[in-house]
Amino acid sequence: MGVFVFIVWGIEYLDIPLDRLFGMFGRMGSTLANRYYPPDIEYIIDADYFQYVIETVQMAYLGALFGLALTLPLGWFGAYNVTPSRRFVYPVARFATMGFRAVHEMIWAILFVSILGFGMLAGVLALTFFCAGFAGKLLAEEIEAIDMGPVEAMKATGANLFQVVIWGVYPQIRVAFTGIGIYTWDVAFRAATVVGFFGAGGMGWYLKRNVQQIETERVAAILLSIVALVIVSEIVSAWARARVMKMK
Amino acid sequence: MPILEVRNLIAKYSARGPEILKSVSFDVEDDDFFAIIGPSGAGKSTLIRCINRLVEPVSGEIFFEGQDVTKLNSRELRSLRRDIGMIFQEFNLIDRMSVMDNVLSGRLGYTGTIRSIFRAFKKTDIQHALALLDRVGLIDHVDKRADELSGGQRQRVGIARALMQDPKLLLLDEPTSALDPKISREVMALILEMARELKVPCLCNIHDVNLAMEFCNKIIGLQDGVKMFDGPTEDMNEERLNEIYAMEVL
Repeated sequence: MGVFVFIVWGIEYLDIPLDRLFGMFGRMGSTLANRYYPPDIEYIIDADYFQYVIETVQMAYLGALFGLALTLPLGWFGAYNVTPSRRFVYPVARFATMGFRAVHEMIWAILFVSILGFGMLAGVLALTFFCAGFAGKLLAEEIEAIDMGPVEAMKATGANLFQVVIWGVYPQIRVAFTGIGIYTWDVAFRAATVVGFFGAGGMGWYLKRNVQQIETERVAAILLSIVALVIVSEIVSAWARARVMKMK
Repeated sequence: MPILEVRNLIAKYSARGPEILKSVSFDVEDDDFFAIIGPSGAGKSTLIRCINRLVEPVSGEIFFEGQDVTKLNSRELRSLRRDIGMIFQEFNLIDRMSVMDNVLSGRLGYTGTIRSIFRAFKKTDIQHALALLDRVGLIDHVDKRADELSGGQRQRVGIARALMQDPKLLLLDEPTSALDPKISREVMALILEMARELKVPCLCNIHDVNLAMEFCNKIIGLQDGVKMFDGPTEDMNEERLNEIYAMEVL
């Protein structure tokens, strides 16, 4: 009931023209048919464009890799059960992870472009921050769910802090971490296709240029290529995930 | 001089919480196989974890070879833990690693950080591990994963891991509670035998009074954090047992 009241109030307050909303699909169909069809496939079968695609893949790869590298200390320090210090390190790590997450990847891209200028470096950094926030939280939660028995046993042998993590914690999260890595690659790749919108490298820049020039048939082709790439990446990661499951 | 002297030990789990141990004192001699008995919740596990400071005691003194354990800094604590082997109720093995790696993990305190990342243990350590695995009857299971073994076998890996440390004292936290009666007796016999062979004194939490009477030469009885009995096994009798376990009906 409360939800319903809120919906009605929201529609009323925002003055949403419902008739236009319901007429949307017809208009969308005609717009797509008139302006975006046929997609300019020739435009994307092009060495220059292909270079940008490669750049996007590289950016996603590097961003995911650096982000995951950052995730390891973030996850360790930010997991309440194994953090080196509950009073100091834990809140700092949690706060950092939250900070990385709180800011949208597009905002990171805008920020780094304005600091570092156009190009891949800004894109890679934006994706790194995005991935660190994304995977850091997942990893910390994974670590908090481990069996503390082996950790206690490793402490009892006289192992130091680092050895306890390598022997007592890592074997328990290895499979989950690989899964998180694959998932991170997935989202990093999707984000990489659009960070270029703000000049942070990759195919996003192509997209922006053509949108602004109202080259709608080219935009359609670019969107199709993004969809195709995402599908390929999904297939690859589904395969990788199945492999990881077997590894267990 | 006793190898371990515990004086007026008090432990709590939280600052305002109840005292789990209420001023417990006892001595462990060089050739003791020392049992701590008592109903569940009496503070047996807490007591044993205070010895190597897996639980920090609130007050009291613990002298191991004359050195006060409660005053050690983290580096000194690590070298103390290296000298004290520990065997756990739930074995606490690293399931996804091989039996061999599990046994070798007992050497972490002696191994540099970089070496331990790459599992590059010294040759003498590897030979020692193989000898111990042979001794506990697992030489055919060296390369199996720890989670492929049965309970009794897993505890044997735990024993080998603890002995890998060349310990001067063994702490046993309910080593047989997760095992069936027959295997329990075998495991206790193995521990006793190896402890005698290597001349390592043992301090053993044990729920099963019959096992304690059979294998241990000294017993302390805990009830709700208070020491109710302290003496050689021969002095333990039905009446005193009833007194220690009186609260369990509740």
